[in-house]
Amino acid sequence: MAVPTIPQSWYLPSKPHKFCPGCGHGIVLKALGEVIDELEIQDQFIFGCDIGCSLLSWNFFACDSTQTHHGRTTPVMVGIKRSRPELICLGYMGDGGGYSIGSQHLLNSAVRNEKVTLILVNNTNYGMTGGQMAPTTLPGQKTETSPYGRDPLATGYPTMGPEFIAEVTPDSAYVARGTVSKYKQLKKYIRSAIRNQMEGNGFSFVEVLSTCPTNWRTNAHQTWNFLEDEMEKYFPVGELKTPFGKGER
Amino acid sequence: MQKVIGESKKSFMTGNEAAAWACLAAGADIMFGYPITPQNEIMHYWTRMAPKYGKGFLQTEDELSAGFTVCGGVQSGKKAFTATAGPGNVLMQEPFGMAEAMRLPLLAIIQQRGGPSSGTVVYSQQEVALTTYGGNGEGHRIVYSTSTHQEIFDYIIKGFNSAWKYRFPVFILGDGYQAKMREPLEMYDPESRGIEMVKSYPLIGLGGKIGQDRGPSHLCNIYSLEEELYEVITKVQAEYEAIMPQITEYEEKQCDDADIILLTHGVVSRAADDAMKALRAQGIKAGYFRPITLRPFPQKELRAAIAKSGAKKMLIAESAIGQFDRLVKQEIYGETIKIENLFMPGVGIIESDLIDKVKSVL
Amino acid sequence: MEPFYTLRPIKNQLEKLNLNVIGYSREDSFGLGETGAMMNPRARWALRNEGDIILDIGYGVFGAQTLNLIEDIDQTPELKVIAVVNASRPMTNSLDRILEYVKGLGRVDAIVANTHMGDETTPEIITAGNTIIVEAARILQLPVIYAAIVEELKDQYVNNFDFPVKYIKRYMPSAMW
Repeated sequence: MAVPTIPQSWYLPSKPHKFCPGCGHGIVLKALGEVIDELEIQDQFIFGCDIGCSLLSWNFFACDSTQTHHGRTTPVMVGIKRSRPELICLGYMGDGGGYSIGSQHLLNSAVRNEKVTLILVNNTNYGMTGGQMAPTTLPGQKTETSPYGRDPLATGYPTMGPEFIAEVTPDSAYVARGTVSKYKQLKKYIRSAIRNQMEGNGFSFVEVLSTCPTNWRTNAHQTWNFLEDEMEKYFPVGELKTPFGKGER
Repeated sequence: MQKVIGESKKSFMTGNEAAAWACLAAGADIMFGYPITPQNEIMHYWTRMAPKYGKGFLQTEDELSAGFTVCGGVQSGKKAFTATAGPGNVLMQEPFGMAEAMRLPLLAIIQQRGGPSSGTVVYSQQEVALTTYGGNGEGHRIVYSTSTHQEIFDYIIKGFNSAWKYRFPVFILGDGYQAKMREPLEMYDPESRGIEMVKSYPLIGLGGKIGQDRGPSHLCNIYSLEEELYEVITKVQAEYEAIMPQITEYEEKQCDDADIILLTHGVVSRAADDAMKALRAQGIKAGYFRPITLRPFPQKELRAAIAKSGAKKMLIAESAIGQFDRLVKQEIYGETIKIENLFMPGVGIIESDLIDKVKSVL
Repeated sequence: MEPFYTLRPIKNQLEKLNLNVIGYSREDSFGLGETGAMMNPRARWALRNEGDIILDIGYGVFGAQTLNLIEDIDQTPELKVIAVVNASRPMTNSLDRILEYVKGLGRVDAIVANTHMGDETTPEIITAGNTIIVEAARILQLPVIYAAIVEELKDQYVNNFDFPVKYIKRYMPSAMW
């Protein structure tokens, strides 16, 4: 069995990283790092991060990176791509940066089929600011701004992001939802998403179901249970749209 | 009005918690907001208390929405408010502009953090320009710069009244230190102090039958001709100037004879007060002037303080590079007193900073 | 040991007093300053340390559930969950409010009577507030293990309760909280 190695595209001086123990970000960024290595695009790769926990990834990669404002990672990536189409632009954000304050940019970039790749990490809360409700908070879930549990009658049901992106994008877009509980599948989705940009097809979007034990206040068992038994039941994992033919579900 | 505090009591809490209680005591109906450090706890406390007192809350998708939902709330006749900071304050300038144009009595609590851009989540006084004159308008706003938790409580109650009586958007300008520090204050229901809360009233949804009881209410913030806009704005300006004497507040100490006047606002005034006392004890004649309302600015009162003191110098100290300084200079244009500056953008200013600076310029 | 942030600004100071502080210092918490829900990995394994460990849990809608973040917390018979109650805080300034607050925390083994008013604390305020806390503790059937009072009041305060007083020295003012 091969010993796992640190991706070459990882920036060693910023390791060990500062993500909380049990956080899914480390897994997603590992998959992304391996994909960057395999596709050999480290030098053309532009990594953009949002505000929130994704902020901690600003110097994560040994790739040119830019930290933006909350919800504005998508338009910054669009600006770079439209100015320098040869660069591979990837925006990295959370559920707030994509489905809340960033939703208008996400929607419009998808409709325009912008040739950027976005990875949105969904952990059902606003982690960094102390655990407020997010668009993806599950019904009944307690957060600092839904202290009595999220009431769908008052604040609606969780945002089904990849579903609405799949609706508004043309066939040349790539849309998937992965999970940190299925690493190989997640890596495959990230690879397909980036390839979609490299081949000039169109918009590519991967939502990743991820863990946040710190704000969920869960131990290891409870964390995985919440992810696998609750989140994955609510948010179906799989490829929703792929120009590359049907992938695994 | 619903009694929220009950027997007036001294309590110990953070500024954010004080703000939430103040809004409750003032009879606010609904809060719209979006998370941004350092004001999140205002939302946390409000969401816990809201159901117990029949109040509303919505965490909106962003600050643009929070500002505009508040505008909608006040248009419908409810006391709506919000809280924000930094980049959130920048975003809210669009809805705040609409509030200025349409004379909407909104109240916003601003907890300044380091800027520009994401800056720091901690503290600064770098949102003075934004809060006093942000947006594409003429600054027809009321801005209270608080320095203690007691003032946060008092001025929020006063702020709701100023808003609904005079119909200008009201801002409570705090900062991250005030938001997070803990100190005692006395909470009270306004009625128990003889403070009558101005009733809110709708600008739309007026009740009655249209065509029979009343005509429809049509609100707008755009005009066809330059002259129309000119008429509207000059009328608002005149109203603003007319109410300035009722709203303007300031604090002045030991300016009767002073060689140097310490001019500060907000939390920095606490250090300035201590510095003034320490300097006097050392035989240095320092005076203290602190505008409490940055808009409208106590311009006449400051000119008077300078005149009577005979001071040769004035030290303007702020946790920004000149935002307060520019505001002051614009207001006291023509004064010949020499102005020194202590600019510490994003950094707290303590008593010794001011004392050292005073000694170096005298 | 802290899950999040209140100790960050005084970490260095406390370490000079030979306390092992498990948490990030302000400089390490990029973009977050004092706040930001970032957990130091060492905090998760805090119980592997020898000696006494104090877990500063703080506030939040989840109360004592925060302890889930510590590995093996449910296999630690020595664990005591203590609710520190200040009757001068609005959320805990009456019997009903204290009862509601403590019940909402989850597991609580004991109470520390921490009534104070910062720099304006007086023995009268302490006694009045702690009296309410004692009543709440009686109803909740929880022991009040001690009262925490600043050392400056040592000469003025007279303890009429049947639990001891621990006189404390404050470091937090330099933490801005």
